[in-house]
Amino acid sequence: MINATKKWIFLKISGAILVPLMLWFIINLIHIYDEKYIDVVSFFTNSTSSFLFSIFIINAYFFSALSISEVFEDYIANDKIKNVANKLLYASAVVIPLITIILISRL
Amino acid sequence: MENKSPLSPHIQIYRWHISSLVSITHRITGIINIAVITLICLWVSLLLLGESKYETISLLLNSLEGKFIILAITWSFSFQVLSEIRHLIMDLGYGFELKTTKISGSIVIVGSIIFTVIFYLIGKGFL
Repeated sequence: MINATKKWIFLKISGAILVPLMLWFIINLIHIYDEKYIDVVSFFTNSTSSFLFSIFIINAYFFSALSISEVFEDYIANDKIKNVANKLLYASAVVIPLITIILISRL
Repeated sequence: MENKSPLSPHIQIYRWHISSLVSITHRITGIINIAVITLICLWVSLLLLGESKYETISLLLNSLEGKFIILAITWSFSFQVLSEIRHLIMDLGYGFELKTTKISGSIVIVGSIIFTVIFYLIGKGFL
């Protein structure tokens, strides 16, 4: 299997997983965004919510990194710039969710 | 080294169709959504600073602008969800006829607005 096929399959699987997670998150975001500090903290410290939120951000960054790299492929002609952009994209897709999950565990 | 492979054509060359509108909006909302998720990660991280520091963010989120931002995020997420479902159905080999693409594209556009209202009402406990 060539890399492009693997990338397409990962993109489709992560896209399918993202749909229910996005629905779950947006409804909960609407519910908590204007709540008191203690209620927001209790949402993110609840084991089910923190687990689903962690899965949501990992999957969202993974899906976005794959999707945005396709946008780079379509619109950036210079290979050097494209490689740097892709490396920054993949690094942020690992670092941001990782830091957020660590910080949530300290709440 | 300069890549000689062709890039996507400029979007202003071809006449706009519902499919092209849905396609470009899917990409734009995808980028907006990941920017929003990054801000949400920052928001969650700021909870660690404690209740007194959270007050400023709370004031913003409780303002009219804050509610507008949440509605805009809800629409962007709704659009992405419906458009992603449309893509997944097309990946299974369905909905490539011109008439069907127009109908499915219209469903994504109109449905995202309806979903925004429904999600907001569910989130606020009205449904």
